[in-house]
Amino acid sequence: MHRAGTTAATIPVEVASWVTKFVGGDGSGRRVMDEPLTPGATVRSVLESLSARFPELQRALWHGKELGEHIEVLVNDAVLGVEHTLDSPLRPGDQITLLAQFMGGE
Amino acid sequence: MTARPGGFAGNLLRVDLTRRTCRAEPWAPETMRELLGGVGLGAMILYRETATKGGKGNVAWDHPDNRLVLGTGPLAGLPVWGTGGLTVCTIGPGTNGPTSTQANGFFGTNLKYCGYDAIIIHGQAKDWVYLYINDDVVELRDARALMGLDTWDTQGALYQETGLAGHQLSVYSIGPAGENLVRFAAIQGDYGHVASKNGCGAVMGKKRLKAVAIVKGTKALHAADPRGVVQAADEMAHDLRTDPSARSLYEYGTLPGVVNLSKMGALPIKNYTTNLTSNVAGADLSAWEAPKLRENFDHRGHQCNACGMHHCHMSVIKQGDRKGAIVDEPEYEGWSGCGWAIGSADRDGVAWLNTECDRACVDVNEWGWLCGWVMECQEKGYITREQLGFELKWGDVKGAHRLLQMVSRREGLGNVLAEGVKRAAEKLGGPAKECAIYIEKGATPRGHDHRARWEEMLDTCTSSTATMETGNPVHPTEIGQPARVNPFDGEQVAKYVAGLRGRRSFEDSLGICIFTSRTRLEYLCRALSAATGWAFTVDEALRFGRRTAAINRATALRCGHTGAMEYPSTRYGSTPVDGPAKGQAIRAQWERMLDTWYAEVGFDRKTGRPWPKTLKGLGLDWLAKDLWGKKA
Repeated sequence: MHRAGTTAATIPVEVASWVTKFVGGDGSGRRVMDEPLTPGATVRSVLESLSARFPELQRALWHGKELGEHIEVLVNDAVLGVEHTLDSPLRPGDQITLLAQFMGGE
Repeated sequence: MTARPGGFAGNLLRVDLTRRTCRAEPWAPETMRELLGGVGLGAMILYRETATKGGKGNVAWDHPDNRLVLGTGPLAGLPVWGTGGLTVCTIGPGTNGPTSTQANGFFGTNLKYCGYDAIIIHGQAKDWVYLYINDDVVELRDARALMGLDTWDTQGALYQETGLAGHQLSVYSIGPAGENLVRFAAIQGDYGHVASKNGCGAVMGKKRLKAVAIVKGTKALHAADPRGVVQAADEMAHDLRTDPSARSLYEYGTLPGVVNLSKMGALPIKNYTTNLTSNVAGADLSAWEAPKLRENFDHRGHQCNACGMHHCHMSVIKQGDRKGAIVDEPEYEGWSGCGWAIGSADRDGVAWLNTECDRACVDVNEWGWLCGWVMECQEKGYITREQLGFELKWGDVKGAHRLLQMVSRREGLGNVLAEGVKRAAEKLGGPAKECAIYIEKGATPRGHDHRARWEEMLDTCTSSTATMETGNPVHPTEIGQPARVNPFDGEQVAKYVAGLRGRRSFEDSLGICIFTSRTRLEYLCRALSAATGWAFTVDEALRFGRRTAAINRATALRCGHTGAMEYPSTRYGSTPVDGPAKGQAIRAQWERMLDTWYAEVGFDRKTGRPWPKTLKGLGLDWLAKDLWGKKA
């Protein structure tokens, strides 16, 4: 989902549902953080910058320098790996979504 | 003689329904580490005891010599969260092959305290019976008065008959669907726990066994290191409460699945015709957030043995036609199968229909695929109003309930539909068949849209047990797998699924719930070691699981399963037309995925057999000889 009207200066990171727990929420709804879109910004750099402010998100998101198993990262509604990698550059109008990994099966 | 390890009751209960005999058979301690319980024990029993004479073929699901193994495991009955577990192993009518399917409640605890690790049932009763177990008193009792009752009413009737209730008496039974041999009938117990896969309820029905009622026994259950068990249980509980992923299960069970999966394109909507929740009338996804789903109902506690999770609930409907009705809070798959898959976003109606499925003893997953398929076929004119007897539109919960009754009782077109999605679709043929979601082996998938979860479609189709055999990864890095892979790269996915193989079969041999085992394998091994006195490692756990999967594969081959059956149906393997996974075409990569998976697990792609080298590496030299003869 591209957000018309998003300025070139920021990129929206939607923290959805359960993942809001890691940024001070109650595990429902959504929070949108407008993160700075600096020259050369990548998916990685934006997520590093965001998670640096939220220790629980930091723990849940990363496994060393790579993404861990707990959170799904979508760029423009597509799972990471389809059109973007962690080191893909971001452009104005892009949007990142953080979703919880599905733990069910029953 | 080897001493009996801790954690085991030490006896297998053999029930011959034909001869009406029940006897305790001592379980040789020498084989306990090799088999553990649950699917480990069940797989070996099926392999050893369901071959036809000469060993080349296998008895069919409806043959009296088919076994129905109701197993526990070495953790069942110990103070580890969720250890009332039941694993059902049998030759099931969906695939006419092996089955491993789990439920919880108090079955495992009560059985272990009666002095048995598993019940092995064979034969066929002349008249309907139920099995009553109270320590050494084991009886086959007349069940004719219970006939026609649904599973909840059966449980109530047995409470009344015995004067026991709650965890004092664990009851697993079948309802009308099991009595009428519906091919996707389940075994339901302790109000809302369901061993649902591969028609195990129909096996029980064929044997004319209405229920198994187990009093909480009085026999001691020893642990080798009781303090160690408690310490391991504490570690597991702490991890479940604090791990970023498991914590959602701890707080809300599987409820977060609806929103999560919808945003991934993995929520099945209207029989896979769309992945947009906006295509369901009245859908407001914010009402499907886990806290909002909980808030919509009043609740009663409904926890399983020794469990501290906020998972299982009884819910009370607060408004509408069904105000005051008590239902079992649906798992994610209930919301999916009785809701989104059939185009309904009516939370009260879905919760009610889900419980009606449990009461009838119908697998809610296959139900969703069947009902959604009928709705789509009616919309497109492939099934007429005259054929069905009424009009069934998307989202019609009352109509779906009417269909459920028809199927459970095999009335009218319900008699065809009771054969399950695959067989019903083949019977109707033409364009109707193209809309049906199933696996060529005869089963149907779990309640997700696997077109956005390729690992689960591959796992489902290659499984020997009629449902996912490997399952969702839990801490994949713990067993040397990457934390994540590109979900639409077939080769990466196939390597991942192969690499995770073994864990699920190990878990399902312990007598523990699938959700309380969503922790580190290391902790499970520590609990098992403390219980038994063994030094059980993660490596041994995986090796055990892979050995069990190989044995199930051997039985499946003997049942006639072939590589040609490891394909999704046309609709199941289709390409999503909208939503987050739009355009991702799994069928274009399927052959390569199978090639990779076979190479990684060490099976022969042509015949489906595990290679002799693979089997010998797992210590299964005897099985290599069985499968390959002199070539082994």
